Amino acid sequence: MAEVSAQRQHAFRVLMRRHMPRALRVAERIVRDPAEADDIGQEAFMRVWTHAASFDPEVAKFTTWLYRIVLNLTFDRTRRRTFLPLEDAGDVPDMGPHAVERLIADEELSLLNRAMAGLSDRQRGAIALFHMEGLSGEEAANAMNLSAKAFESLLGRARTALKANVQKIQETGSYA
Amino acid sequence: MTPDQFRRLAETWGGDVERWPAATREAARRFAASAEGAAVLDEQGRLDRLLAVAPEIDEARADRSSLLVLQRLAAVPQQHRPAWYRRLLRWPTLVPAASLACSAIVGVWLAGAMPYVHSASDPLSVMSGVFDVYSIGLGSVQ
Repeated sequence: MAEVSAQRQHAFRVLMRRHMPRALRVAERIVRDPAEADDIGQEAFMRVWTHAASFDPEVAKFTTWLYRIVLNLTFDRTRRRTFLPLEDAGDVPDMGPHAVERLIADEELSLLNRAMAGLSDRQRGAIALFHMEGLSGEEAANAMNLSAKAFESLLGRARTALKANVQKIQETGSYA
Repeated sequence: MTPDQFRRLAETWGGDVERWPAATREAARRFAASAEGAAVLDEQGRLDRLLAVAPEIDEARADRSSLLVLQRLAAVPQQHRPAWYRRLLRWPTLVPAASLACSAIVGVWLAGAMPYVHSASDPLSVMSGVFDVYSIGLGSVQ
């Protein structure tokens, strides 16, 4: 990061290669739209470049800082958005050797996406950081700029709502 | 830790006691060893596995996004070094130049305004002047 602060593009390219998938993954989990997630990931790294000098490694890890930028951009966009993206269409079936495993994974992902649609952006963010990215409660709270207690409450509500949505989808075949 | 407390924590933090807040882990481990505790953790563990499924981001997509960031950075206009005459016109450079010009103007004005005095050329005055210069040379600290 010190080299990125000194505006060295080579170091910035290495940083993006290492962390861009992380930014896209978290953004996509929250906005549920790959194209919009790509925009957010790009904008997040533009901010990393322009604000690199303000990053203090003694205050936070780079990943925590990056998550915070991505979440802020994501919440800003979803606040402005006046429509919801179409639900994910079914993928083209994979005919490769691991097709069955792939199908199960796709079904799980589809179920999860449908259940996640009923959560708020902040609830999706909490789940993405804690469960998908494997951050500790403290790290996730820090990335979301929340107190540990507030994060615990947010995560608890998110899991309860998600569980209810999953059960509803499994019972009725749709989330309404 | 009561069964209700254990269940509430499991519903919040999931089926892995090691990811719970540090202050609760010791008591939670003891309760997790019971059949009731294990069943609660197992139930929450299934939800954890579902939640851990991440959108797949292939390398080409991430690389494309990185490339677009670099293109956007390249499109941002660079701050060029201004031409020498523009640098000269900045106020920090103008202060000494203005001071010099003012000094020159005051000097020219004084030269024009002060009366010109012809020095006396009689022998007494010349001797007196030489004496004065001599005494200044001796008396001054040099």
